Amino acid sequence: MSHVKTITKDTSPIQTQQAPSGMIVHLQRFSTEDGPGIRTTVFFKGCPLRCLWCHNPESIATGPQIQWLENKCIGCGTCIKTCQLGCLTKSEQGIVIDRKVCTNCGDCAETCPANAMELLGKRVSVDELLDELTKDQTYYEKSGGGVTLSGGEPMMQPDFAAALLSRLKEKGINTALDTCGVCSTKALEEVLPHTDIVLFDLKEADPEKHYNFTGHDNQKVFDNLFHVRDYILNQAPQKMLWIRTPLIPEATATSENILSLGMFIANNLKGVVQRWELCAFNNLCRDKYRRLGIAWQYDNTPLMTRAAIQELEQCAKLSGVDPRIVIATGATRITD
Amino acid sequence: MTTATPERPKFTIKEPKNLSPRIKWLRDYYFQGVKRRWNNEFTAWTTGTPWDFQYQEGQYYIVPETYTFFSTFTGAFKQTARRVKLHPDFWKWSLPERHAWFVKEVMVNYLPHEILPGDLIAGARFNLQASTCLNKKEAKQYRKMVYGKHGARAAILWFHNHGYGNVGATSGHIIPDYARVIEKGWKDIYADISEHYEALPPGEKKGKKGAQLRAMLTAATMAKEVATKYSQVCADLAARESDTARKDELLQMAKMLNRVPWEPATTFWEGVQSLWLTHMLVMSDESYPGPGLSFGRIDQYLYPLWQKSIGEEMSREFGKEILKCFWIHANTAYDAMIRTGGNQGITSGFGQVVTLSGMGPDGKDMTNDLTYAILEVIDEMTPILEPKPNIRLHRNTPDQLYDRIIDMISSSQGAPFLLNFDERSIAGMMLEAKKAGVEHLINENNVYDYAPVGCLENTMCGNDRSGTVDINLNLLKAVELALTGGYDLIPYTDPMTGKTEPPKRYGPNTGNAQDFKTWEEFWNAYVRQTKYIIERIARLYERTDEIRARFLPTPYLSCLVRGCAEKGKDINEGGAELNFTTLEAVTYATTVDSLLAVKYLVFDKKVCTMKELIDALKANWVGHEVLQARAANKAPKYGRDDDTADELGKKVMELWTEETWKYRSRPTGKQFRPGMLSWNYWISDGYILPASPDGRPKGKFLSNAICPSNGADINGPTANVNSVGKVIGGKDPGGNGHWQEYCNLLPNGASHTMTFNPSLIRDPEHKNKFKSFLRSYVENGGSCLQINMVNADILRDAQKHPEDYRHLLVRVTGYNAYFTAIGRELQNEIIARESHQI
Repeated sequence: MSHVKTITKDTSPIQTQQAPSGMIVHLQRFSTEDGPGIRTTVFFKGCPLRCLWCHNPESIATGPQIQWLENKCIGCGTCIKTCQLGCLTKSEQGIVIDRKVCTNCGDCAETCPANAMELLGKRVSVDELLDELTKDQTYYEKSGGGVTLSGGEPMMQPDFAAALLSRLKEKGINTALDTCGVCSTKALEEVLPHTDIVLFDLKEADPEKHYNFTGHDNQKVFDNLFHVRDYILNQAPQKMLWIRTPLIPEATATSENILSLGMFIANNLKGVVQRWELCAFNNLCRDKYRRLGIAWQYDNTPLMTRAAIQELEQCAKLSGVDPRIVIATGATRITD
Repeated sequence: MTTATPERPKFTIKEPKNLSPRIKWLRDYYFQGVKRRWNNEFTAWTTGTPWDFQYQEGQYYIVPETYTFFSTFTGAFKQTARRVKLHPDFWKWSLPERHAWFVKEVMVNYLPHEILPGDLIAGARFNLQASTCLNKKEAKQYRKMVYGKHGARAAILWFHNHGYGNVGATSGHIIPDYARVIEKGWKDIYADISEHYEALPPGEKKGKKGAQLRAMLTAATMAKEVATKYSQVCADLAARESDTARKDELLQMAKMLNRVPWEPATTFWEGVQSLWLTHMLVMSDESYPGPGLSFGRIDQYLYPLWQKSIGEEMSREFGKEILKCFWIHANTAYDAMIRTGGNQGITSGFGQVVTLSGMGPDGKDMTNDLTYAILEVIDEMTPILEPKPNIRLHRNTPDQLYDRIIDMISSSQGAPFLLNFDERSIAGMMLEAKKAGVEHLINENNVYDYAPVGCLENTMCGNDRSGTVDINLNLLKAVELALTGGYDLIPYTDPMTGKTEPPKRYGPNTGNAQDFKTWEEFWNAYVRQTKYIIERIARLYERTDEIRARFLPTPYLSCLVRGCAEKGKDINEGGAELNFTTLEAVTYATTVDSLLAVKYLVFDKKVCTMKELIDALKANWVGHEVLQARAANKAPKYGRDDDTADELGKKVMELWTEETWKYRSRPTGKQFRPGMLSWNYWISDGYILPASPDGRPKGKFLSNAICPSNGADINGPTANVNSVGKVIGGKDPGGNGHWQEYCNLLPNGASHTMTFNPSLIRDPEHKNKFKSFLRSYVENGGSCLQINMVNADILRDAQKHPEDYRHLLVRVTGYNAYFTAIGRELQNEIIARESHQI
């Protein structure tokens, strides 16, 4: 990864010790789905989990990745001429990337006139990012919103995350951390003081299933969740905790799992958790997998039916959790 | 004029609700269109002279689609015109006196007076094509100035065909002093004009001023005489009515119409009656139905009567019933051309705007019960087009009003109203006061009483004609001329003769762009060409302004605009206290993006030479697709909250607005002021203007008003809004803006349209987020916003033209995707879901 990509390509980032840099995939302004109010979400690159259903496959790998966007391509072949390793070819299906050879250097993305070759993953400094993140401060203030770090897993870049969050706090901006919970507790300790809201994923109650679905068991997830809970209870009662559970057909979307998670929340997080979001499976990311050359086992899985989601929502509400904090979100099947 | 609204697909049509049998009948009857036995289509009237004519084509110079029909319309009205028996002294009178008498004669003694079943408001037929009342000599002069070899018509066609834009002294687009009529009655206006007339020295009485004031005195009793006729009709109907409730209504109407609009209104019903009769007769006086003739702050000046009547015998529901009848009447303006066009004459191009809510003195919010009652009327009547509501928002707008607005937005595809933003708008009006030296007429003590006409064009009320649709300039033409050193990039070919013009330099010789070594040289050429196109359009406007001032007086309207009686001058001669005309810039974002592209491609990145760029534009990018893609995708764009790009945008804005203030129309003294309306020219002129350096080929849409180019705003709605706010003027954090910290270079205001996905306001939590977005718009955005909630049709269009919709987000929990970045199959699924939800 010798080539460093930044958001503003014309100015080289000044990287000092006070302002570390990090690898992000994308900045989403006017985000209305990642915490309270109107937010800007920073999608970090790199994730310790390998969830089978992952909606953001471009954020899994820690380094940059090249992708080809069919509907932007004008077929000029500039990318093929640019690539010094010769890993791009034109076929009937369009541009084919030989990923065994490609180093994701990004030269083709730089020269592609149509932005059809896109480099996912850019190294940005805290200062650069702050310039972008403060542009919507009015919207944050009017809506009770702010900035959410998501991904990928922000906790894979804890120094960067902590530096960014503390600078946002200096500017009076509300901050949220969206985490899968798999990280070192020390890293969490570094970041939590600068975070107003923790959006914490609880995917699966059964450790073995959790391992099968994500590549990790859930011990660390629970340990870290307890740590967040204790931190809030003992040191920062004004901070908020939201739990998020993806509803994945034939995986997490079982009444057994939802009941177990609900009992866990009811027994362990009472008075700390403000919201439990059940996020319905979504298959819109199908194309992302295709572009990255990754096979996806949910490729043909339809959206869930409204009835199925309502049933799980009922389970959650009957699990002992305060039913008022349970919220189901997401699209449902049309034929429903 | 209002911004064209695309036709809505069937599944999105909102249904009216809570209509009484009376209103349901009237509404259904209205929508029967041509099948109705009664309608309000144009009737033509003549003095009977062979040179007489009715159709004033100058009113339609700003509608290029009508150019080819001018002769047809003129001939058709002339042929069908009925002769009016003239007063024996008619031809001895001055032109304004003839006009005033003629229109009154038709309205009182020729046009039938009818009351539709159940209707609570009198005043049915008003659409006229009245004789212009010219004598032979005047008609000859008029013809020479319009049709002559060097006449206005030829000059305007040339201007349009060469891609500069269009101009025309257009009617409507004003808020008459209706508040005065309601509060004090026409008798107060009559007395005032008499006083001015009597005060004239004998010489002036015999002269032009005396004639104008006599014409206005004639016109000032028209409403009274028409009301008397309607009173008799009501009395006659009452005598034959068997239903006692209806009989009582008709008797009350008969009584009311003997009082108003001559006397001050004493009840809400009288107020609305007085308003309607007074309003409809303006359309008769101008022979121009509706467009832009606006009501102003209706929920403010009618509120005292609303309160009074509610406190007495009127129920709130009956008050709304009166308003609903008023709503139906406003829609009958569309009957003018009911047998023309595909939709029974109903288009979106009218815009009798009503203003609701807004700021009062000291930033106080003026929302009241009548504001909410009118919103209920709109919600219950919708879909219905007229009058168009424009709701004024500001820092102190209450949550309750926002909640109501957002609920109404969520139940329809596009908001059934425009949203105007007070702080920004007021800053523009304050700048206008300073620039034009009219601080005695617009200042901190009254500026909050501004209101929009047409759609969003801000003016003061009762004393202001600002010609808000009269001058429409394609800023992009200056980029073209800077590239060529003053020539058309592609010589004009006449589609009728097939003849191509020989190359001719029209603009200043700014040098061969291919020799420019620096961006600054190109910018300087652009500056000179901008000055040229503004001077050119200003001088062209004067010709249509002069024709109107000399031959087309409107003495009735002049009675309703402060300044005309004082000056003894018709409004069309510049009689209004605030006597402006507005240069509405079109193609703003395309222009800024084109300049950004020239800078990026030729000077900063040296992707191509100037010659290569010009060759590509001449070839409409054919054979230069890679360069076109770089221009479209790699060059910076306005609308992304990119400070560097937006800074150039601001510079462009400052240049053309500053230049605009330098002009006054010599025949009428109208001061030019800047605005950005764009109407629909950005669509049609895309077929006239050649390819532009931003990557746009000829034939593709230009940018709309102050909106970023289609698809350019890839950083989402907040970035889009921030960019708009910056280029319209931004803020001065030190509080030294044009008003408080707000700056606004566009006193007229600017049209800004945004498209959102309906899921954004799917539940109370998200409605609150959207409310915060609007509250942020007050701080960061422009002067006026129109909201579209995306529908499946737009999504289908996005499939066909993904480059135009790159900003369209599909929002699903935990996952946001740009609609155009996902595969076709999934797009179809989302479209199907979208159709399903709505």
